[in-house]
Amino acid sequence: MANRVVEHDRLKKLKDTVAVVGVGESDYVGDYRSGAKGNAAEKGSGALNSYQLAATALKRALDDAGLTKDDIDGLVVGGPMSTERTCEVLGINASWCVSGDAPRGIIAAVQAINAGLCHTVALVYGNAQRSMNTQYGGPQAMGGDGILSYVYYAPWGMTSQGGLYSMMFRRHQLVYGTTEEQLGAVSVAFRKHASMNPNAIMKERFTIEDYMNSRYISEPFHLFDYCLINDGGVAFIIQRRDMANGKQIPINISGIGWSEMDIDSTQLRPRLKDFYLPAHHAVREQVYPMAGYGPKDVDVYATYDSFSTHLLFSLEGFGFCEPGEGGAFIQDGRIEIGGEIPCNTSGGMLSESYMQSWNHQPELVRQLRHQYAGTEREVKGAEVGQYVHDVAGKCLSVIYTRGN
Amino acid sequence: MTERRPNRTLGPDHDTFWAYCNQGEFRLQQCNTCSKIQWPPTPMCNECLSDEFTWTPMSGRATINTYCTFERPYYKECPPPWEAILVELEEGPLFMSNPKGFSVEGKERGTPVKVTFLDCEDDAGPFKLPVFELAD
Ligand SMILES: [Zn+2]
Repeated sequence: MANRVVEHDRLKKLKDTVAVVGVGESDYVGDYRSGAKGNAAEKGSGALNSYQLAATALKRALDDAGLTKDDIDGLVVGGPMSTERTCEVLGINASWCVSGDAPRGIIAAVQAINAGLCHTVALVYGNAQRSMNTQYGGPQAMGGDGILSYVYYAPWGMTSQGGLYSMMFRRHQLVYGTTEEQLGAVSVAFRKHASMNPNAIMKERFTIEDYMNSRYISEPFHLFDYCLINDGGVAFIIQRRDMANGKQIPINISGIGWSEMDIDSTQLRPRLKDFYLPAHHAVREQVYPMAGYGPKDVDVYATYDSFSTHLLFSLEGFGFCEPGEGGAFIQDGRIEIGGEIPCNTSGGMLSESYMQSWNHQPELVRQLRHQYAGTEREVKGAEVGQYVHDVAGKCLSVIYTRGN
Repeated sequence: MTERRPNRTLGPDHDTFWAYCNQGEFRLQQCNTCSKIQWPPTPMCNECLSDEFTWTPMSGRATINTYCTFERPYYKECPPPWEAILVELEEGPLFMSNPKGFSVEGKERGTPVKVTFLDCEDDAGPFKLPVFELAD
């Protein structure tokens, strides 16, 4: 079972104390199409490096915020970069610095800013995973050192993330009768969103029929259920709310939540037996009461999507629908822009860029700033955005709201 | 016939598991204090922090929890289509394995299976791999 810490009064004191004031990213498309004749860059080319990608993203985020690097006094570093080297390359003498993925970094930074350890935190990520030919399955998965729970099962031929999540979806099929056609709505919707995003790598729309005709990688998963492997960098800047300079509409961090399920994780019990629901429920009890909103109030939603099925499970776990109803819930355009709950509106990791939780944050911020107003990409009147991070041994969530 | 497989994780406790397999016995660590069965092998009981275990024979009876079929090669030893199944042992633990003598296609969850052993070898030498066949 997941630990449940419910401290609404303490959480509420942090609500809206910190805001996102700047966002930026590298040129996903240009870097991806850097192969001969505009083809995809070769894996293992070594052409790009993570620090350079992070630096590009940071410069853009600083410009967006109207800040300079000397305004930064805290740093969160994501991807395969060291904190020491990142601070050196970016020329930042931080007073506070940690490593982590985007939501862990956001939650840590909210705490540090409220504790008075820093005022203005740059969260930066760079990952030249395609240039470095990083493997996420097989003998060299994540270094091949047994970092990931399932690497133990090599003698049975099972060591890939896709294997794990396709088994999780298969289990959902066996328990609830969910179909592949139903799941296909996720990758079709995210690709449609990517087609509206100039910085998305995969823009060509496809239909459910195309999805069903695409090859299996790990059945029941088709090719389109898998995320991309590409190089890129993302940065965003969060600041004590009362210090924001007003260049951009501040996007408040209004809710945070975190819960893990690590017992029996090598047996894969939390995902393949429990669908991670106890952790989802624990996070729900933090993030929604803190923000003062519930799933019905969320205007724009994003979930970690290394695989399509993450969306199905997080919508069920966070109460957008009941467990088992996800397959039917995501039909008929409900998760598309213009639908009831637009999800991963940049195209996500399936179609925009595989930035491992980082690319979702600038997209939610821009939607809440109404930066796409008047375009087909706009989620009209969006005031509340939610990110759910549900992967490996953790579930975290962040709720953003439009400030004034 | 001996099948070539990707390397096992070996070392203290892991070696004991495979040594029993090589005798055709399917045994897992059981805590002497609280009786929790551990899999994979572990230095300490995560229920009560005891480090005293008995290698207890499992019945070998299990049911299918879920499965997948790899259509892309991840290991040269495991050519596609390659089926992996997760079974739930009668004693509780979930066990990742392969089907033997049947295909997972169309199988329902809860389908009863039982353990058997396959003659295999990896870089460390020959070994017996626990896999599951349909129970009668
Ligand atoms: Zn014990």
